[in-house]
Amino acid sequence: MTDASWSRCDDAACVRLTGLPPDPEIQVRSGPAVVDGGLPPMAGRLVVDGGDVCFVPRFPFVGGTTYAVVVGGVTVAVLVHPRPDHPATTEVIEIRPTATEVPRNLLRIYIRFSAPMSEGYAAGQVRLIDDFGRELPGALLPAEHELWDGGRRRLTVLLDPARIKRGLAGHRQAGYPLRYGQPFRLVVDDGFLDAAGARLRARAERRYEVGADQRDRIEPGSWTLTAPACGTLDPLDVAFGRPLDHGLLARCLRVVGPDDRVVDGRPEIGPQERSWRLAPRAAWAPGIHRLVIDPVLEDLAGNSVSRVFDRDLSRAEDEPREAGPVTRSFRPR
Amino acid sequence: MTEYGLRIGAAGVRAAGPITFGPAGILFLADNVSAKVFAVDVADPGQQAGSEPFDLADVDLRVGSFLGCEAGDVLIRDMAVHPVSHNVYLSVQRGQGDAGLPVLVRIDRLDGSVTDVPLDHVPFAEVAITDAPAPDDERLDITLPQGSEGEDLQVGERTIRILRQPIRTSTVTDMAYLDGTLVIAGLSNEEFSSKLRLIPFPFSDQVSSSSLEIFHVSHGKWETAAPIRTFVPYDGGRGILASYTCTPVVHFPVADLTPGVKIVGRTVAELGAVNQPLDMVSFDQDGAEYLLVANTAHGLVKIACSDIDGQPPLTEPREPVGVPRETKDLRGITRLANLGGSHVLALQSDDEGRKHLRSLKTASL
Repeated sequence: MTDASWSRCDDAACVRLTGLPPDPEIQVRSGPAVVDGGLPPMAGRLVVDGGDVCFVPRFPFVGGTTYAVVVGGVTVAVLVHPRPDHPATTEVIEIRPTATEVPRNLLRIYIRFSAPMSEGYAAGQVRLIDDFGRELPGALLPAEHELWDGGRRRLTVLLDPARIKRGLAGHRQAGYPLRYGQPFRLVVDDGFLDAAGARLRARAERRYEVGADQRDRIEPGSWTLTAPACGTLDPLDVAFGRPLDHGLLARCLRVVGPDDRVVDGRPEIGPQERSWRLAPRAAWAPGIHRLVIDPVLEDLAGNSVSRVFDRDLSRAEDEPREAGPVTRSFRPR
Repeated sequence: MTEYGLRIGAAGVRAAGPITFGPAGILFLADNVSAKVFAVDVADPGQQAGSEPFDLADVDLRVGSFLGCEAGDVLIRDMAVHPVSHNVYLSVQRGQGDAGLPVLVRIDRLDGSVTDVPLDHVPFAEVAITDAPAPDDERLDITLPQGSEGEDLQVGERTIRILRQPIRTSTVTDMAYLDGTLVIAGLSNEEFSSKLRLIPFPFSDQVSSSSLEIFHVSHGKWETAAPIRTFVPYDGGRGILASYTCTPVVHFPVADLTPGVKIVGRTVAELGAVNQPLDMVSFDQDGAEYLLVANTAHGLVKIACSDIDGQPPLTEPREPVGVPRETKDLRGITRLANLGGSHVLALQSDDEGRKHLRSLKTASL
């Protein structure tokens, strides 16, 4: 009598068949194909292993999926591939911005997880709600293409830019995603699966107050630089006057010394992304240093050093800045 | 395929992304995890096709059955039709997370049978699409890798294997091949920009990619940049119509695609609130060229190219916005591809979420 069971063959999971008739026609059918004979069988190859025949699939069996083993048109076994048990260990470790108040035209939020994540859950598991738990409908850009870092641990979430930009149909018809003076929360539900397929340990959220629109360029000329003392390892402190984008801050600022070399040191983004400091590895040299700012640096509303997010063409003061880094000079005291 | 620099081997694709056909049956496949575009010779076995339509119900069930999984584990990321045989290629991610596998599925248009192009032994070439790192951007996410990828790191007396991956990434949203150049639209996970990347093909170590930024103006008042979600060359490759994540449909001439130059495209239409463009194709009807735009909120939108050419830039808010358009009662369509000149193939989801391939006759659109 023919029997089929889970086994291993050629260092891969397989279905092992025993007691086969001569010249058997063997198929493994998965999921809906178990009952629908019109659907194609699973791709794979047959390997003779001793007196048994093994079906080695071209694509691995999936945990929790049902497979029918069909020999000569007759189903000889229905097997469910075991689902590995993954404990929930992954969690959200930060949601940025950390500013308590964001502009009404907030563009971007970063969510950082403690382990690599699965794609495909952002649309269903990340949402904005008000203080009464009501969802802000259509606030987030539908995430057909999720925006992850290379390690699949930081997710970038965009608010719908069509509703933020003035003049566009989305803005005129649906209005801003956020309302001035009405707090909201970004919620990451625990159904967001990590790369191993496990749920999060807990849901996470961050609450924000909503302030006025931010619709002007970042102006490094207005930043407050607190120069360190010469010959010390004291940090250079830079205060921006408004919160800036965390992701871009981490790569858009550097300090160049009098010798035109980048000052090696430990950069640190300050509370609420409103400041930045650099503690040098070697003591500050005398002479003029430059803080070099990449003009792609953006604030929370997508205004950069070079341009306003949506530029009012009638405002001459909003003319885009020339491409190229902007610098601020300072001299260690 | 050696004239295109393709070599047989394991392509090392980590994730299925947008696909489009280039010259000589070469398929470009974007991989948004490894930040590469692969050029793959699919060695299509089909004969020259005629003008027959092709329809296939429950394509996700069929592909799932072939791949040995449920339909819910089949994520169809993109669709392309072989220009000669009209066989249908689907860029499929099977499963998610560590268990996720990219598969290039081929569906035979004669009998609807499902096979795949084995990416572990295929003539291919590849090009990296990572943004050139800024001199001060050495941010890498260091993780413990699966399998053999990564590098050895000595920690005291121990050697551990680590994988360094960039924090800043660019996600390909659409691609088109235009006369020796692969044009790529993408979405950064950090800055909000509107860059088109141009990569010469055959890929070369000497010639890297270049990019340009395309702005658009809404109602003559506000100039803005935004990522391009989908685009289509038309007018014999002389023009490009691009649809943005914030929904303006913008025209610009291909002749303007000069690297490093800022272009302001001409906004010709908007798709409306809480709506996202998904895909576009151009097709001929009675000797005139038209565009079809699939989107999330409405039926297919049909626009006459002659209306685009005659449309002045939008300067005043008014409804409907922009060029005359016809909205077809064809909903749930997420991908479009030309099936010869007589049909457009649509990937359509029904009310129950089941996915079907459906031929739309161009004469009747």
